[in-house]
Amino acid sequence: MLDVGRHPNITLLAYSELEKIEGEAGNFTAIIRRKARFVEEDKCTGCGACTEICPTSVLDLYNEGHAERKAIYSWFAQGIPSTHVIDPDHCRVLTGKKCGICQKKCEADAINFDQKESILELLVGAVIVATGYDVFDPAKLPEYRYTQLDNVITAMEFERFLSASGPTEGHIYRPSDRKVTAQIAVFEKKVKKSQKALDRFEKNHGQDSVEFYSAYKAGSLNANDDLEKDQDKWAKKYEAHLENATPLEALKEKAKGFTSAKNLAFIQCVGSRDLRFYPFCYGYCCMHSIKEAIIAHEHDNDTHSVIFGMDIRAVGKGFEVYKVRGGNNSNISYKRSRVAEITKNTDESPVLIYEDTLEQKVKRETFDLVVLATACEPVKSTQKIADTLSIDVDAYGFFKTQPADPLDTSREGIFVCGCAHSPMDIPESVAQASSAAARAVQAIMKKNNKKAS
Amino acid sequence: MNMNDLILYEEPRIGVFVCDCGSNIAGHLDCADVAEYAKTLPNVVYVKENLYTCSEAGIVEIKKAIKGQNLNRVVVASCSPRTHQPLFSSSCAEAGLNPYLFEMVNIRDQCSWVHMGKRDDATQKAKELIRMGVAKSAGLEPQEEIESSLVRKVLVMGGGIAGLSAAQALADMGLDIMLVEKTSNFGGLLQQVHQLDTGGSARALLSKIIDDVQSRSNITCYTKAIVKETGGYIGNFEIKIDTQNGLIKDKVGCIVVATGAVPLIPKGLFGYDGETVISLMELEQKLKKDDLTARRIVFIQCAGARTKEREYCSRICCMIGVKNAMIVKEKYPLIDVRILYRDMQMYGTHKEQMLWDARGKGIQFDVYNPDNPPEVKEGKVSFFQSITGKIIDLDTDLVVLSTPLVPRSDAPAVANMMRVPTDQNGFFLEAHAKLRPLDFAADGIFVCGSGRYPATSTEARTQGLGVASRVAAILFKDKLVKSAIVAKINPESCVGCKACLTMCPYEAITYNRDKRICEINEILCKGCGNCAATCPSHSAQLCGYKPEQLLAQIGAA
Amino acid sequence: MTNDILVLGGGIAGIQSSLDLAEMGFRVHLVESLASIGGKMAQLDKTFPTNDCAI
Ligand SMILES: Cc1cc2nc3c(=O)[nH]c(=O)nc-3n(C[C@H](O)[C@H](O)[C@H](O)COP(=O)(O)OP(=O)(O)OC[C@H]3O[C@@H](n4cnc5c(N)ncnc54)[C@H](O)[C@@H]3O)c2cc1C
Ligand SMILES: Cc1cc2nc3c(=O)[nH]c(=O)nc-3n(C[C@H](O)[C@H](O)[C@H](O)COP(=O)(O)OP(=O)(O)OC[C@H]3O[C@@H](n4cnc5c(N)ncnc54)[C@H](O)[C@@H]3O)c2cc1C
Ligand code: SF4
Ligand code: SF4
Ligand code: SF4
Ligand code: SF4
Ligand code: SF4
Repeated sequence: MLDVGRHPNITLLAYSELEKIEGEAGNFTAIIRRKARFVEEDKCTGCGACTEICPTSVLDLYNEGHAERKAIYSWFAQGIPSTHVIDPDHCRVLTGKKCGICQKKCEADAINFDQKESILELLVGAVIVATGYDVFDPAKLPEYRYTQLDNVITAMEFERFLSASGPTEGHIYRPSDRKVTAQIAVFEKKVKKSQKALDRFEKNHGQDSVEFYSAYKAGSLNANDDLEKDQDKWAKKYEAHLENATPLEALKEKAKGFTSAKNLAFIQCVGSRDLRFYPFCYGYCCMHSIKEAIIAHEHDNDTHSVIFGMDIRAVGKGFEVYKVRGGNNSNISYKRSRVAEITKNTDESPVLIYEDTLEQKVKRETFDLVVLATACEPVKSTQKIADTLSIDVDAYGFFKTQPADPLDTSREGIFVCGCAHSPMDIPESVAQASSAAARAVQAIMKKNNKKAS
Repeated sequence: MNMNDLILYEEPRIGVFVCDCGSNIAGHLDCADVAEYAKTLPNVVYVKENLYTCSEAGIVEIKKAIKGQNLNRVVVASCSPRTHQPLFSSSCAEAGLNPYLFEMVNIRDQCSWVHMGKRDDATQKAKELIRMGVAKSAGLEPQEEIESSLVRKVLVMGGGIAGLSAAQALADMGLDIMLVEKTSNFGGLLQQVHQLDTGGSARALLSKIIDDVQSRSNITCYTKAIVKETGGYIGNFEIKIDTQNGLIKDKVGCIVVATGAVPLIPKGLFGYDGETVISLMELEQKLKKDDLTARRIVFIQCAGARTKEREYCSRICCMIGVKNAMIVKEKYPLIDVRILYRDMQMYGTHKEQMLWDARGKGIQFDVYNPDNPPEVKEGKVSFFQSITGKIIDLDTDLVVLSTPLVPRSDAPAVANMMRVPTDQNGFFLEAHAKLRPLDFAADGIFVCGSGRYPATSTEARTQGLGVASRVAAILFKDKLVKSAIVAKINPESCVGCKACLTMCPYEAITYNRDKRICEINEILCKGCGNCAATCPSHSAQLCGYKPEQLLAQIGAA
Repeated sequence: MTNDILVLGGGIAGIQSSLDLAEMGFRVHLVESLASIGGKMAQLDKTFPTNDCAI
C-alpha cells in the first residue's frame, strides 16, 4: 500500500470522485471532483497532533461503529495518504460554532477551514473500475434480530474485535458486556462528582454521609446549628448521589461475571444464496468464518466455534487443508444447517433455532456471541457509476463482462476487476487486477499502433 | 578511480538529523538533548533537529547540508527504515551523495514507543542507538546499483487457454513471444470439452483465440516441442527448445509456465470401468458424440479428491458435474439424474445460479458422508441418506465420477528444470498465495492456469492476461536495476566448501569447478545474508554489512 | 491520444492494477472516494489463506 503512495508514476487522488467522462478509448476526458479535506495535502505530515486535541468525538465507521474517532481524523492509523481530513458534519468550526484548536495545534500550518472542493480534468486512455463491494445490512433479515440483539454482530465487526488495533484490542468482549462497562464508566464519573459534593459536608461535620443520612431519615439526628442549616441540602445531595451510586453498584455486581466470549456461532449465507436478497454465493465468507474462528482460538484457547452453513465452500488453493486443520486444531465444528431464528436468554446470550438439515430436526443452542457472514453486495453507487461511465450492469448488480473477455465492460477502453466484477477473495482480486492492467495497456497500445500506421 | 572510490580515502564527515516526528518522538524523549549529544560523536560535523525530517522542508535541509557542509555520510534518527529508508536514501542521491552512504536509526519504534512514559530511559536509549549508527556509517562504502540488460522476448510454456491468453496480451504489448506446446495442437484440455458452462462450445472459444495467436507476427508458435533446458536469470534466460525442426537455442527475458493439469483417471475408485462407471471427461466425450443411452445417471462428486492422499478440493468439478447434468437433462428430460456430493462448490454469481436452475430442472441432490461413501455394484449405487437415516439403493445404468484435476506427470521435471517449487499436491507454488498469485519466488518466472491450481477456462484466461502485466512490468523497463546490497565471495580466501551454496534460498550461488570456489550471481542474490552467516572462512560478505562495519556498530554500543 | 490510465477505487484490486501499470511505466491516476486507500482489506485483521497481517 505504501508503494502506491510513493510510486513516481502514481498520482493518488483520495477523497475524490469521478464526476463525468467523455470521449472514447485512447482519448477519454475525466472530470474528477476533489472533496474539500480542510487540510492541505502538501503541508500535513500526518503527525496526528490535531486528532489528539480535537474535542469532538464521532462514531468511527472504520471500526464499524464500535469505537470513536475525532472530527479531524485519518481513516485508519496507517492510512495512505496520511493527510488528515476534517469531517464537515461534525467539526465545530465547520458547523458554525467556535473552536479551531486543531489549527492552533498544527505546527505544519496545514489546516484550512476555507478550503473548497476542486475540479480536476484528466486525459486518460483507459479506465479500470475497481470500486469493490458493500457489506449487506443484516437488519433486512428480521429473524436474526441484528438490531435488537447486542451479541449478534457481522463478520466485519468481528474482524475489528479481533484486531489488536481495534476497539477491544483483540479481546472478544461481548457488545452487551461492553455496553455495561461503558455505563459503569459514565456512572463512575457522575459518582465521583457527586461524591465530591458530599466530601465537603462530610469534612465540615466530621461524619460520613451514610451515617448522617440514616439518622436524618430516622429523625434521630443530633444536629447542632451548623448541621441544622446544612442537613436538608446534604440529604438532597446524598439522594442525588444514590441515584447514581446504586445503579453503579448493581452494574459492577453484574460485570463481575463477565468473561470474554467462548462459545461462538458463525452463520453462513446471510443475505446470500437466498432468493429474498441475493441468489448467488460470495465465495469467500465460508473461508472468513473459518479464519475468524481460528484467530479467535489463537487469542483464547478456550473458544469453541460452530459454523452453521449449507455447504462449506473452500475452493481456493490450500483452502481445504485450512478448513480441515482449522477444525482439528482450533476447536471448530461444521454443522450443515439453516438457521431459522435468533432470540436471546436472560444474560443476553443469543439462542439459535436452526434446522439440522442432515437430520431434518429443529434444534436450539445457546452461544455467547453470534457472527453473521453477511453477503457482499454491489456498492450502493453502482448505478451512478454505470451511468457516469455508460457501462452495463449484470443480472446480479455487478459490472457486466463476457466469459471470453472477462475484464472488458460493455464500453471499449473500460475494464473491471475485483469485487466490482463479481464477489471474490483477495488472491482472485489480485490476479484479476493484473489482468485488467494488461487489458488497459493492450487497449492503449493497440490505439497507438493504429494511429502510427 | 571514480568519485565514489575517492570517498573511501576521505575523512568521514557525518551529518546527523534528529526527527521530532511532531510529538511522536519529541513527546517521549528529549530530542534537543539527543542532538546535542550527537555533536560530540566522532566524525560528526553537522547536527540538525527537525520537526519532521520526512517533510518537504526536512528533505531540503538534508540536501542543503550535504552540499553546504560537504557531508559524505548522512544519518537520520527517526522512524522505521522499512517505510522511510527509500525516501531518505534517494534524497541523498539527488544531492549527489551515493545512497549507500546513508544510515537510518529508528528512535521511534525502538525508544519512544517501547519506553513510553520513561523519558530519561528513552533519551538514553536514543543516544546509544545514534552512537552505534554513526559508528557504522563511518565505515559505509559507496555501492553502485547493479544494472543488466533485458532481452525483450518471452517464453510461454503450454498452449492451453492460459498460455494462449498470455501470448495474445504480450503480443499486443509489442513483445516477442515463443509459444511452446508439447502436443501437436493448441488448446489444451479444453479441446476435449463439449459445451462450456457459460454457454457456447469450447471449440468456438478456442478457435477464435488460436486463430488470433497464429496470425500474430510477433508470436512464434512451436508445436510438438519441448523446452529442454533453462539457464541464466531474469532478463537473460538461456533456453534450449527441442522442436520438430531440431534444437533451438535462444535468450528470453521472462518465462511463463502455463502447462496446465489433467483430470484424474479414477482407477480403482467406485468400480470405475470406463463403461458403466466413467469419468466426467468421458461423459464429455459421450455428449460430444451424442451416444448417451443411459436412463438413470448418478454423479459421484469428489471421486479421488478431498481425501488423505489428495487433500485439496479441485474447485471446478462441482460446476462441471452440474453443467453436464443439466446438458443431459435438457436433452433427455426423462433421464433421472442424481448428484451425490459432500459440499456443492458453486461459488460466485453464475455457478450458484446454475445450482438453482439444476434443481429447477428436477436434478436431485443428496449429501454423502466421506466416512461412509457410496458403494457402486452391479447397476446399483447405495448410499447412506442422513435425512431418512436409511441406506438408499439407486438403480442406475451410468455412474459418472467427478474427478479432480491433478498435476501432469511431467510437472516435477518442469519444476526441476526451472528450479521452481511445487506445493504438497504437486501444483506449482507461487511466491505468495495471497499477494503474488502469478509470480514465482524466482524473479522473471511466472505461472498461470491449471498448473497453478485447478481453474475454469475464464479464470485460466484471466490469469494468462494477468501474467502479461507482471512480465511487462519487467521488460518495459530500460534495464534491470537492482539494489547493490548483494553478497560477494572473496575468491582468494574461499575454500570451496559449498556451505553457502546450500544455505542460499535463491539459488544464487554456483560452484566453479575449475577454480574450486563458490561464486555469486549478483542478479539472483537478494541480499539475505545467509551465506555470509554460514561461510566458515568469512569469504562471503554482504555489501554494506561487512563484519568490520557491523563490528564498528557493536563496538559503539 | 494519451497513455495515462484512470483507476477507480483504491482497494486491493485498484492498488494492484495501479502498481502493475506504474511498473510498466504508465502514469496512473488512482481515485478513491474515502480519505485513504486500502478498501475492505484494510479493515481486516489477518487474512486467509496465509493468516498474515492484512496491510
Ligand atoms: C471434464 C472437464 C470439463 C470442463 N468443462 C469446463 C467448462 O465447461 N467451463 C470451463 O470454464 N472450464 C471447463 N473445464 C476446465 C478447463 O479445461 C480448464 O480451465 C482449462 O483447460 C485450463 O487451461 P490451462 O491453459 O491452464 O491448461 P491446459 O488446458 O491443461 O493446457 C496446458 C497445455 O500445456 C501443454 N503442456 C503441458 N506440459 C508442457 C510442457 N512441458 N511443455 C510444453 N507444453 C506443455 C499441454 O499439452 C496443454 O496443451 C473442464 C475441465 C474438465 C476436465
Ligand atoms: C469480514 C470479511 C473478511 C474477509 N476476509 C478475507 C480474507 O481473510 N482473505 C481474503 O482473501 N479475502 C477476504 N475477504 C474478501 C476481501 O475483502 C475482498 O476480496 C477484497 O477486499 C476485494 O477487494 P476490492 O479491491 O475488489 O474491493 P474493496 O476492498 O471494496 O475496495 C474498493 C475501493 O473502492 C472505493 N470506491 C468505491 N466506490 C468508489 C467510487 N465511486 N469512486 C472511487 N472509489 C470508490 C472504496 O472506498 C474502496 O476503497 C473478506 C471480506 C469480508 C467482508
Ligand atoms: S493537520 Fe497538522 S496536526 Fe494534523 S496531522 Fe496534519 S500536520 Fe499534524
Ligand atoms: S476545529 Fe473542528 S476539527 Fe479542529 S479541533 Fe475543533 S472540532 Fe476538531
Ligand atoms: S461462501 Fe459460504 S457463506 Fe458465503 S455465500 Fe457462499 S456458501 Fe454462503
Ligand atoms: S469441486 Fe466439488 S467435486 Fe471437485 S473436489 Fe471440490 S467439492 Fe469435490
Ligand atoms: S546473500 Fe542470500 S541470496 Fe545472496 S548469495 Fe548469500 S545466501 Fe544467496
